Amino acid sequence: MSMMSNGRPLLEVQDIYSGYQADFDIIKGVSLHVKPGEIVCVIGPNGAGKSTVFKALYGFLNVRQGRVLFDDRDITNIRPQEALKAGITIVPQLRSVFPDMTVAENLEMGMYLERDKKRIKQRIAYILELFPRLAERKNQKAGTMSGGEQRMLEIGRALMWEPKLVLMDEPSAGLAPLITKMIFRGIDRLNKEIGLTVLMIEQNARQGLEISDRGYVLELGQNSYEGTGEELLHNEEVRRAFLGG
Amino acid sequence: MNQFLQASVNGITLGGFYAVMVLGFAIIWGVMGVINLAHGEFVMVGAYLTWFLNKQYGWEPFLALLVVFPVMFVMGYLLQKILINRIIDRSYLISLLVTFGLSIIISNSFKLMFSATPRTVDTVLSSFWRVGGITIPMAKSVVLIMSLLMMAGLYLFLQHTRRGKSIRAAAQNREAARIVGIEIAAVYAFTFALAIAFTSASGTLISPIQPIFPFMGPALTLKAFAITAIAGLGSIPGVLLGGLLLGLIEVFVATYVPGIGTNLGVVASYVLLVVVLVVRPQGLFGSLRPAEG
Repeated sequence: MSMMSNGRPLLEVQDIYSGYQADFDIIKGVSLHVKPGEIVCVIGPNGAGKSTVFKALYGFLNVRQGRVLFDDRDITNIRPQEALKAGITIVPQLRSVFPDMTVAENLEMGMYLERDKKRIKQRIAYILELFPRLAERKNQKAGTMSGGEQRMLEIGRALMWEPKLVLMDEPSAGLAPLITKMIFRGIDRLNKEIGLTVLMIEQNARQGLEISDRGYVLELGQNSYEGTGEELLHNEEVRRAFLGG
Repeated sequence: MNQFLQASVNGITLGGFYAVMVLGFAIIWGVMGVINLAHGEFVMVGAYLTWFLNKQYGWEPFLALLVVFPVMFVMGYLLQKILINRIIDRSYLISLLVTFGLSIIISNSFKLMFSATPRTVDTVLSSFWRVGGITIPMAKSVVLIMSLLMMAGLYLFLQHTRRGKSIRAAAQNREAARIVGIEIAAVYAFTFALAIAFTSASGTLISPIQPIFPFMGPALTLKAFAITAIAGLGSIPGVLLGGLLLGLIEVFVATYVPGIGTNLGVVASYVLLVVVLVVRPQGLFGSLRPAEG
């Protein structure tokens, strides 16, 4: 959780509608915003449309209604490559390392759009400094690492581009509880140390909210609650529905 | 002893050709998830181009690479944009049917244009080297050297260039490739073009060794399929070893198993294929699952 969550929103999602099939909206009027330096967490039951929101933001799905503003610029229905250029990177829910490439090569791919080799090298060195565990495994093939290390690499790769905002789709998915804790602690640390701004979706609502400045609850494709992480953690109804009492 | 050495030399030269011939097939399968049943036809097209330059303009066959590679690169690129692009995300069955149709169209057009008469090229490399008691045809040894050089070149390209890395990335995890900003469609078009160029170039290599005719393709496609499946997807050194293995097995079986004859030596490689598929379905050196199809 950061101490610097003031100012104008970096990302502003205004009442968007989107879905996979024509004429069938999974999300029906979702609004949220993220300010620079914030960690914002979206929680909600399965099928509430959390992942759909991310896909719509990143151009994998069409936004049929509503607007997305980033840095005061309209980025509604932007293509993935343009989203990247605008300064948004994504850590997907499913495994996304390149398994037969080394850790260093994976990081290098995070800056695929950068042509300046010197700068790529500097960024790799910087990321390896941030993640000593990855530095130890620099020349190891990513596919041979543990699930937690791969997730760490995915986050490191997303940071290569020096993004203004990182979207994280269930960073705890498929990880053991202890590893999950480590990953969340890592995200919190990056937020404090380098001012990383994060919008994440989390199934693991309690741990997600604990490190978040603010949170949103989605239900049936719409906003149902919002508040600071603290407020949502103590809200009776949210507790009953998502935090197990 | 001499017989053993001679068989080894023959097996290695044959295997080297197999390896470079299979590369394009293995890459298209591994990166795009498309099994190209017209593979052998592209070898044939490269061989005919070489024959044409040889007969018409008196070019030395290996020199034809300078034309075959770029021309077939462009052809591959266009073919991908017009046809293959539409079948990438469909089931394997669709890509099998479309490329099978393509193979029939290509081979029969060549039959119409050049008749079914087998053709041969003339080369200055028609003599032999004699080392000890064994003979090494000059043309074959040049084919082996060129094959190894081409494979090494492709390997270095994939490992060390930005474009090569984008191809590997797209093959290993397509979604991840997209999120780091790789345009998948562009990668596929380039990959297909490159693979076809390599495939047709292998047709140039084979032209001084084997007669060229319109229906030489299917046997080569079958061989490519067997070697790729035995070697496994995703590794160029694997394809090289798989090719060499098959070449050696074919020659040794033909040499040492009495009464089996050269053609039946080929059977041995398919027996190996069945054994590998049962014991180690991902192939001997495979690390990559084929793309979802």
